[in-house]
Amino acid sequence: MSSLISSGSASGTGSMTLAAPVTNSNQTATLPDATGTVMVSGNMPAFSAYIPSNAQTISNTTFTKIQFPSEEFDTANCFDSTTNYRFTPTIAGYYQVNLTVGFGSTALGLCLTSIFKNGSRFKDGTIIPNASVGPLCVASALIYFNGTTDYVEGYGYQSSGGNLTLSANGGSAGFFQASLVRAA
Amino acid sequence: MLYDKIMALYRSLTQQDFLTVITLQNDSDGKGDYIKFWGHPSLPQPTQEQLDGVK
Repeated sequence: MSSLISSGSASGTGSMTLAAPVTNSNQTATLPDATGTVMVSGNMPAFSAYIPSNAQTISNTTFTKIQFPSEEFDTANCFDSTTNYRFTPTIAGYYQVNLTVGFGSTALGLCLTSIFKNGSRFKDGTIIPNASVGPLCVASALIYFNGTTDYVEGYGYQSSGGNLTLSANGGSAGFFQASLVRAA
Repeated sequence: MLYDKIMALYRSLTQQDFLTVITLQNDSDGKGDYIKFWGHPSLPQPTQEQLDGVK
């Protein structure tokens, strides 16, 4: 018969409590046949930030970091919404990252978004050519983070021939999000 | 605008070049646009002096 062994931590003094739910029924939680860290809401970083108003202008043919100064949520305070506009999660693992950028007017040429990892172009999104209305460009990728130094930022690019101002639409047209899918 | 200055120096460049062999970047840190990468097979990266000289 298998056994359940409890093991304390030599480097911590806190206790661990397993609490039963409020129910009159018996429930069973089966642990997986694998070694790993149990993920709970407290160690699964997630954030969602957005552009609140049409403010930022990006130059022609220039990858420009998008500023997301407003947050809907940031469960582990891993997104910097004031200075660097980057997500640096403190839990190592695989994260789903979403980036949407709206270009505020008709854009001849190309529009695209790109997720930069550690300062370099990493995952490009859709490329929209010669949009007849203000295009929304989306990038989405599953990205590994080491939990200490790895970070991502959202960049936009357009080749309309001149400057373009990003669209906001009250936060619906420009947003940056990430959530832990599984720990390392 | 950096793009316009580069195009004034090298009129043979196309917009496609700026998505493939040349990367201009702006990190929104107040330092403005700059050349992140220059890998054009025949044209050398312009110097800051050349760029400053474009009116």
